Amino acid sequence: MSLLLGAFIIGLILALVALGVFISFRVYHFPDMTAEGSITLGAAVAAALLVTGHSPLYATLAATVAGAGAGLITGVLHTRFKINALLSGIIVMTALYSVNLHVMGKSNVPLMNVTTFADQAAGIAAHFGTEKVLLFGREAGVRDLTLLGLSLGLVALVGVLLYAFFRTHLGLAMRATGDNDQMVRALGSSDGMMLTGGLALSNALVAMAGALLAQYQGFADAQMGIGMLVWGLASVIIGEALVGTNRFGYLLAGAVFGSVLFRLLVAVALRWGLDPNDLKLITAVFVFGALVLPGTFAQLRRRISTPVSGDSRA
Amino acid sequence: MLELNGIRKTFHAGTANEVRSLQGVNLNIEPGSFVVVIGTNGSGKSTLLNAVAGTFLVDEGRIGIGGEDVTQWAEHRRAQHIGRVFQNPFSGTAPTLSVAENLALASRRGQTRGLGFALAGANRDRMVAAIQGLGMGLETRLDNAIGSLSGGQRQALTLLMATWLKPKLLLLDEHTAALDPRSADQVVRITDRIIARDSLTAMMVTHSMQQAVTYGDRLVMMHRGQIIHDVRGAEKRRLRVEDLMARFEEVRRADLLDTSAADLLRARYV
Repeated sequence: MSLLLGAFIIGLILALVALGVFISFRVYHFPDMTAEGSITLGAAVAAALLVTGHSPLYATLAATVAGAGAGLITGVLHTRFKINALLSGIIVMTALYSVNLHVMGKSNVPLMNVTTFADQAAGIAAHFGTEKVLLFGREAGVRDLTLLGLSLGLVALVGVLLYAFFRTHLGLAMRATGDNDQMVRALGSSDGMMLTGGLALSNALVAMAGALLAQYQGFADAQMGIGMLVWGLASVIIGEALVGTNRFGYLLAGAVFGSVLFRLLVAVALRWGLDPNDLKLITAVFVFGALVLPGTFAQLRRRISTPVSGDSRA
Repeated sequence: MLELNGIRKTFHAGTANEVRSLQGVNLNIEPGSFVVVIGTNGSGKSTLLNAVAGTFLVDEGRIGIGGEDVTQWAEHRRAQHIGRVFQNPFSGTAPTLSVAENLALASRRGQTRGLGFALAGANRDRMVAAIQGLGMGLETRLDNAIGSLSGGQRQALTLLMATWLKPKLLLLDEHTAALDPRSADQVVRITDRIIARDSLTAMMVTHSMQQAVTYGDRLVMMHRGQIIHDVRGAEKRRLRVEDLMARFEEVRRADLLDTSAADLLRARYV
């Protein structure tokens, strides 16, 4: 049960990554590699601040702002200096690796002896007066359940705020930029500014996820960002399959569901003996399949339904 | 309303692909005038519209809109004065957004876009009324993605969006060229109606000689990056399709003469 709850919590934290990737990849069609660096940046900033005695709330917010800064730089590289989308992300991601090491001072910062969000949740859990409760016939830790409730609340809050934001005049213009930048310029908004703002928002979410993940795991690590973009993308794709519609609010919710479901599948697979080293390979193959298979199936269907020759349908 | 003085633009200057698109264009358009722009392929008529819209900055010359010098303004900044409809029906609308959301975007053309909800109540009644005015039966599809509509419908909506806030200048770049004849006719009628209703100042590039003689109160013909004919008033009203064809033929002959003269010179002296 504890394993399952853990998967749920991590799935919810990483749902913020999925939402960030959804914004860059689906709203803007911008393959933003910055995410791999900014999740670590979030973890690093949060860890450095926690170690020097700042509150978890302050540390997490600072991490979020740092992430926004990283996205801002990528946006400026792409829109001002006309650097290819993929490359601007890679440049910032590479730079962030050194920045993160400097922020942390070493490649791994343990957070065992400082107060984190997880510890604060445990503090709340202590008020319930019991350590274990029965859930679906199994024992579950009250601390884990409290953490689950808190992360669920946070992700729901972020999701609702995002949904509301993308219905405002500004948010609508940002969505339109990914759809048709020519039109956005013709309607008087700078598409460059809209894209830069969107990347800042995306990376702010990713960095927030990094900060929360570090606090939940109890450490920040310079390597923790590797593969995060593909991970987020996998969640977005699963989410799209789950909701089966193109309506914006559903897609946002889908990204969250996708992240949780994917994490649960991974937890189950690991439990059944999957080698953790294979995890990223399997994720990559999965995303490859999800990107390619729909087209292949459509082609096959056409080929099967198209008569061989001579059979006229006219 | 629009003043163009000595506009020049050369693309790929100094390379083998050098194209002198605009070679000293002077044009003054009075408020409320509807100017039709025609010309051969590559004559620079679309380039002229793009120069006004700010798609690129001109090499030389001055562009003024409503007395304001906008020569160095970026495209999105000029949009506060300019409404545009493009040749490609896909260029003017955001396909995954709904009809209402697209109109909401247009309702803030050139203004700051804040954190107010874009689809807040009051706007919707005006949207329904405006869409009913198009007579295309789109008022029931306000919440459909605009990408699900036909080219003609999208072009009519783009027109509505471009004129939602009264622009100082409306630019129409062959906006019916990609449509089937029936839709093209419908869209150009709507265009004429809106321009007359709001007494807009407009420039319309067209390939259709019929449209060129039927609509507008002034006709400008371009060739090789320059304005070679400028017809207005009674003379414009008298203009027939045959007259225009004759002028195109004139231009073609002059061109032939140029090339044959060059051949002659080459044969003799090279």
